[in-house]
This record gives sequence, structure tokens and C-alpha cells, in this order.
Amino acid sequence: MAGDTASAAGWVEPRGGRVVPVYAVTGGRTRANDGPDMPVEALVTATEAGSFAADLQLEYRATVELAASPVSIVEIGASLGVPVGVARVLVSDLVNAKYLVVHLPPLPTTAGGGPAPEILERLLEGLRAR
Amino acid sequence: MHADSTDLIPLKVLIAGGFGVGKTTLVRSLSEIPPLLTEQEMTTASVGVDDPGLVPDKTTTTVAMDFGRITVDGSLILYLFGTPGQARFWFMWDELARGSVGAVVLVDLRRVDDCFPAIDYFENRRLPFVVAVNRFPGSDEYDSEAVCEALALPDDCPVVWMDARDIGSSQETLIRLVEHALSRTAVTT
Repeated sequence: MAGDTASAAGWVEPRGGRVVPVYAVTGGRTRANDGPDMPVEALVTATEAGSFAADLQLEYRATVELAASPVSIVEIGASLGVPVGVARVLVSDLVNAKYLVVHLPPLPTTAGGGPAPEILERLLEGLRAR
Repeated sequence: MHADSTDLIPLKVLIAGGFGVGKTTLVRSLSEIPPLLTEQEMTTASVGVDDPGLVPDKTTTTVAMDFGRITVDGSLILYLFGTPGQARFWFMWDELARGSVGAVVLVDLRRVDDCFPAIDYFENRRLPFVVAVNRFPGSDEYDSEAVCEALALPDDCPVVWMDARDIGSSQETLIRLVEHALSRTAVTT
């Protein structure tokens, strides 16, 4: 996990740039190697442990900060400027370390594989109220 | 891994159609955040349509696509994905389409051919979709019956005339899709 390497050495983080390629942060992984398969819209939120994330490496810390309010894998990727697969690895590591909690989409219950009618009704209601 | 899916629920809708038909404009009209660009790796394992045996090796391709977000209520968050328009990216959609509410297929009546691959895709996978005719010059010369016929749409497929630049019009299109998806759940059970 993070928090044990270069970030502690006091490098200066350039604005809008990155010192180490993010693939180095993820150890070259672009796929999460355990846990449930997280689709791009899966949401994450920071746990109480998230407030101790200050010592983590840049990308991990930024991910925890983004998850202060519900945020999806795809948004994390776009915000950090990394591909979705890399965001998924970052999230997976942080979930395993209990900094983040994942909120997966509902399991499909309809024949077409889409969300259940109750959820679609709530969606409709919410959209009409906008 | 600790997964919790009881409180927050992510949902997604695909915005499809040919190049330059207004997908990004529609995402921008609907989204509460400025549309963001994402790089998505997609496996090409399903390239042989239904026979993965035709493609022994999975390969991964990276495509860029834009997306937006609507926080519907305290726990529902809807993501809108403008899917890559080129037909050669079609086979990479499965991952995105899985579990989605459905799709809005944007059509420019001056170039109807551009939307056929999207319509075929959603029909084959029985994913609910609405056809949204983006009001480009000349689009009012046709009625929805003519469009249904020209596109060989299923009888129950809604056709909406809309303006992707207009928030209310875009919103109405999205609502039509959700209504359609809901009515389909009643039919398919």
C-alpha cells in the first residue's frame, strides 16, 4: 500500500503535473486483482479512516479527497487525468485498506438486465422534480 | 473487499449516435457538472459478435468518451455516457451497456445512416432506447411515422423531436427514455 515511499521524502508536487507515472504508483497494474468487478459508475465514499489519508501518495490521497462526497470511478479517472482502469486499481487498493467504501449498482432484476422498476420509478420522480 | 450497495445507487444512460450529431451537447445540457473526458480501456473480446472463440486473445483498446452526472436525489446518481460514434467502437460497448437504464439515440435526419449501428446494437441486446431527432435545419419536414419507417424501428420505440442545446428539451428526452424503460419492465416480466 501507499504511505511508505517517495511521498514522505518531501518532493514538491508540481501543479497540474505528476512526478512519477501513475502506472508506477499502481505497480503497473491496470486491473484490480481482487474484489468485485467495479463498473465505471460504481460510487465510492471515504470512511472515517479517510481523514488519516494525508500520508498517502499523491494519487491515493487525491482519490480519498474526491470521495469526501459520493464520486464514481469514472469521475476519479477524469479528475486525476488517468484511464478508468488505473482509477479502478487506486480505488480497489483504498477499499482494501479501508479508506473507501464502494457502492455498487443494483443487481439487474429485469429480463433486459436493467434496474428494477422501483428504482426506475424513483429516477423518473427525481428527474421530473428537477 | 467491503462493498455496500444499500444506500447509494449509481445508474447510467448511454447517449449514442453518429459523429457530430450532438452527443456532447446533450450531455452538457443535462449534466450538473461540465462534461468530463475519460479514457476507457475496453476489451475487444466480443469482437466476433456472439462467438468469443473467433477471437482467442483478448486485446485492450483505449477510447476517449465524455460523460456527465445528475444527482437525482439523496441516494440516486445518474451518469450519462456519450459513447464513441464510430462503428468500429461498437463492440466495446458491452461493458458500458450492462446494467444501464437504456440509451438515447440521437439522429440527424440529414444523415440517418449514421444512427443505424446504434439502433441495431440496442435492439439486438434488448436495451430500451428512444430515438431523439435533433432539430437541425429541415428536420421538421418529416413526421415520426416517416422516421419510424426509415429507421425500421420497433413499434413501441418512442421518437422525440428535440433540441440538444435546450435544457428542457433534453430533460424531456431523458424522461421519455426512463418512462419507456419502465414500461418495458412491465412487459418483459
